[in-house]
Amino acid sequence: MKRVNHVMKRVLRGAVVAIAAMTIAEASLSFAQESVAVKATIVTGGLPVDDPNAAIWSSAMPATFPMSPQVHWPNRIQEVTVQDVSVRALHDGNQVAFLLEYKDPSEDLDDAAAFEFMVGDKKAHFAHGQPMLQVEGGPVNIWFWKHKDDKAVDMTAKGFGTLKPQTHQDVKAKGAYANGGWKIVFSRTLSTDHPEEDVQIIPGEFISIAFAVWDGRKDAVGELVEKGSQKAVSSWWYFRADAPPDYSSYMYAAIAAVVALGFQFVLIRKLKKGQ
Amino acid sequence: MGALGKPIILMIAMYLFLKFVLPYIPGSAPLPSSLIFLYLLLTAAGIVIFETLSGESKEAFWGPMQRFLTGENIGGLQALRYGILVLFPLLIGWQTYGSTASSDAPPAESRTIHPAPPGEYTGLSNPVPKTPENIMQGKGFYAAFCSPCHGGNFDGKGPAARGYNPPPANFADPTTIAMLQESYLFWRIKKGGVGLPIEGAPWKSAMPRWELELPDEWIWKIIMGEYDGAHQSPRTWE
Ligand code: HEC
Repeated sequence: MKRVNHVMKRVLRGAVVAIAAMTIAEASLSFAQESVAVKATIVTGGLPVDDPNAAIWSSAMPATFPMSPQVHWPNRIQEVTVQDVSVRALHDGNQVAFLLEYKDPSEDLDDAAAFEFMVGDKKAHFAHGQPMLQVEGGPVNIWFWKHKDDKAVDMTAKGFGTLKPQTHQDVKAKGAYANGGWKIVFSRTLSTDHPEEDVQIIPGEFISIAFAVWDGRKDAVGELVEKGSQKAVSSWWYFRADAPPDYSSYMYAAIAAVVALGFQFVLIRKLKKGQ
Repeated sequence: MGALGKPIILMIAMYLFLKFVLPYIPGSAPLPSSLIFLYLLLTAAGIVIFETLSGESKEAFWGPMQRFLTGENIGGLQALRYGILVLFPLLIGWQTYGSTASSDAPPAESRTIHPAPPGEYTGLSNPVPKTPENIMQGKGFYAAFCSPCHGGNFDGKGPAARGYNPPPANFADPTTIAMLQESYLFWRIKKGGVGLPIEGAPWKSAMPRWELELPDEWIWKIIMGEYDGAHQSPRTWE
């Protein structure tokens, strides 16, 4: 008996150590992951729609996305200024606000940036919703901001050469340049009256999102280097507006734990009686 | 080893396998924790059935288990017993929470990397003779059109690759072009990402549709240059 106990003790102690090690390994692995989604945190008491420097932005987790020079379709560009963008978002159940941040050594009137979203249930190719050959695609909604105008243009595209401003302009934007970088706020109501052309944001649901940036610098002969399709791009990532907290799973967990406890109690009583 | 030693080790080995080995087997993906839990439960059930098959091992298996649970004459193990009696309900609660709480993770990225090509592209053979000049020319085209994404070293790490998700294919990796026939590459290069069927997630791919820009003959030459440069050879029919 003593020997059995001793062995069991050793085995169980080993198991506890192993499980602890696995838990720690898992936790550190999950921190190393690259960001794949922008999350809009819920706030009450107003969104900073006009203020890229508002203190409340620090309550939203930034997500960083790598950018490529656009070499997917002509006209291509082999080198661009912006290598990464950082994106935060907040919502209040009625409106959503995004903060786009990136490094850009020079402030130029032609500096510009855009968000792109899939619209509706159909998948859309990240390059302006260009046609796919075996899958029927949908349109994309593009929110475009340019320093010169410091406002947003709400646009739709379904294929190259189809990009145009919508008749309904629902998006606001405001940029601020400081310390070699841009901070631009885009905002809109979560839903609009035009679900065929505007992305509809339902809290809790993941939506495909992509980014584009143009550094408006000029070359030696005064020509724009980044313009039109010659820009920094990303392909699709995800965006989600947080759903209001739902505590029902805590309740289910508590019920399950109580049932398990009761089961143990009954089992041990039965075992004791049987002996 | 006590009768419980082997089952415990087996369970841990199973967990390690499901969690850390299986996801790295080509064609596999990380398992959701609910599935891992289910497999571990099945393993446990299997062990119990196996151990209770013969009368003798039944006593060896259940005896210590029963004594441990009832806490009779287990001396110093008493504390551990209480620990387990507290931990087990907590574990069940935690699992229930995990399977009912709305997930924070984005939708699972399932994407078939090598879906079936359209019928007309199977079995085509490269019509361009495999001469050193043609291979050289193909490598030149590759450098001009493909290397920004797929890399000058054919490793998928071109200067424009970083923003694209899924990343440009790494041709030096034995699981890309070495597994494919030339006719498959011809299809992929001609039709690009947008030519993929739905299981290939065409809306995400940055692979250009080169038929809009390059003649077929160039594409066949590029294929030769690509295999040669990546030190791979196409899969053939034998
Ligand atoms: C804009 C970046 C880009 C350029 C330029 C590009 N590719 Fe690709 N390519 C990709 C991406 C991303 C993938 C992976 C997604 C996919 O399979 O569609 C890919 C996949 C492929 C595949 C499929 C490999 C496999 O294992 O399935 C082949 C073959 C290929 N590319 C060949 C070429 C050739 C040849 C060129 C030049 C003529 C080229 N690519 C230029 C981005 C690019």
